[in-house]
Amino acid sequence: MIDFVQNTIDGVMIGASYGLLALGFTLIFGVMRRLNLSYGPSIMIGAYLGTLIYVQFSAGPVAVVVMTVLGAVLAGIYVERLCFAPMAASAGIASMVSSFAIWMQLEQAAILILPRHTYPFPPLATGAPLELGPFLLRIDHLMMLACALLLSAGVQYVIYRSRFGLALRAIIGNPVAAHLVGIDVKTSVMLAFAGASAVGGIAGYLVLAIDQQVTPMFGMWATMKGLIAMMIGGLGSIPGAILGGLVLGVVEAHSLWHFGPQVRDLVAYLLLFACLVLRPSGILGDAPAAETSIGRRSA
Amino acid sequence: MLELQGLTKHFGGVRAVEKVDLSVAQGEILGLIGPNGSGKSTIVNLICGLFPLTDGRVLLHGTDISDLPPHARVTLGIARTFQNIRLFGQLTVWQNLWVAQNSGEQFGQENFLRRWLGGSRRARGEIDRTLEFFDLAHKSDELAANLAFGEQRRLEFARALAAKPSLVLLDEPAAGMNAEEIDQLDRRIRMLRDDGVTILLIEHHVELVMSVADRIAVLNFGQKIAEGAPADVQANPLVREAYLGTATAA
Repeated sequence: MIDFVQNTIDGVMIGASYGLLALGFTLIFGVMRRLNLSYGPSIMIGAYLGTLIYVQFSAGPVAVVVMTVLGAVLAGIYVERLCFAPMAASAGIASMVSSFAIWMQLEQAAILILPRHTYPFPPLATGAPLELGPFLLRIDHLMMLACALLLSAGVQYVIYRSRFGLALRAIIGNPVAAHLVGIDVKTSVMLAFAGASAVGGIAGYLVLAIDQQVTPMFGMWATMKGLIAMMIGGLGSIPGAILGGLVLGVVEAHSLWHFGPQVRDLVAYLLLFACLVLRPSGILGDAPAAETSIGRRSA
Repeated sequence: MLELQGLTKHFGGVRAVEKVDLSVAQGEILGLIGPNGSGKSTIVNLICGLFPLTDGRVLLHGTDISDLPPHARVTLGIARTFQNIRLFGQLTVWQNLWVAQNSGEQFGQENFLRRWLGGSRRARGEIDRTLEFFDLAHKSDELAANLAFGEQRRLEFARALAAKPSLVLLDEPAAGMNAEEIDQLDRRIRMLRDDGVTILLIEHHVELVMSVADRIAVLNFGQKIAEGAPADVQANPLVREAYLGTATAA
């Protein structure tokens, strides 16, 4: 029983990082209806720049956070300019395929920046874990969970309550009309990508600060975990992204405990498969799906 | 205030608009009429910058705006409605206006955070007043997609006004409306003109144009064939042949 609870706690904490990754994803895929496979690799580029200043100049944690987020944002804008801005809104497949090509490019760029396979990443909090009766809570895990909840609330506010979020949703519903009521569509979409990458950058920093190491494979890992968590939680739903991350984290934690690390990923993909078969729109995916169809109807 | 000089648009081999010269004076209601396919909607699309000109220029207050993107033209004071309604269906009525609202300050000078993350009390009051003017205040929290057709038409008009334009392009605002709704539309267009807004009205409904317009321009096959006071245009034999003649025959 103690093991069960401890595993669930660990799962929730790790799941928070998946949720954060899914949050950035859902901003682009759920809200803009475009799949950016280079999302993870953009974060990885940010993390590499963060590691670079840590290894070369032994930069402090604040500088590493800023560098990681800034690098992720710049890489995100680069991907948007190259793969998404030139394509018509209807050419989602073309954007997705070109974002795959840029993924490869970004991985090679990371290897050029730092050629060894693995580099150290500065830890966030090194203190002893909190003891709560028989259970242990790591401080960096708690910070991750807090960040996930705060950021998702912030993103939810921006998308559904702020004028900028309304402008984004107006663009998805009716791009031509959005132009003609004075919305700067190009700049708004670019800012949405930048925002998603910033969220991803924060997520990437937190994950790597816990792992304390970074490899070029982190890009693929971030894309996969974010994508799975988003699909389980529900496309385009911001609470769904966090919830999907938590579910994925808990399921992984328990399968790791019972079956070991090889089976863990197997279970994660099985969970995704079951979710796609039983509930294709995801746990909280109904509302946004209806929303898009309303947008189309009036278009 | 608005001047079209030699406005030309070809779609492949189709001469949709051919060397049209037209000027709209400050504070007037100019009616633009013509048979189907005569290029009326294309002219509206060219004025608001939806696609590039083949030739000619669009001047606003004497400045050439031919190369500006659509959203920049809106900030200069040109707003429009659409013949086929293009609302943001997933947003509420109130949000449709908010997202289109122009704070009235010079573009780029206003605070980005205030413009995009919040909204001033004054701005909210303006939206409420616009909704009342169009008799939509009681619907302000409904999704635009759930409105009745007539309400959607009014919301289109209201949204165009939210940008606080000095020139409004109305693309067939009466399409699908009943007699009572057209009366209301007539009244609203006049009130708007009395408020100092210049209006370019494109309309199939001849009675409405004849009643409300100060001047009328007539297009046929992408060219302007007549221009003048409603009575003169109505009496013009070219116009009768091209447009009114066929309308009475049909």
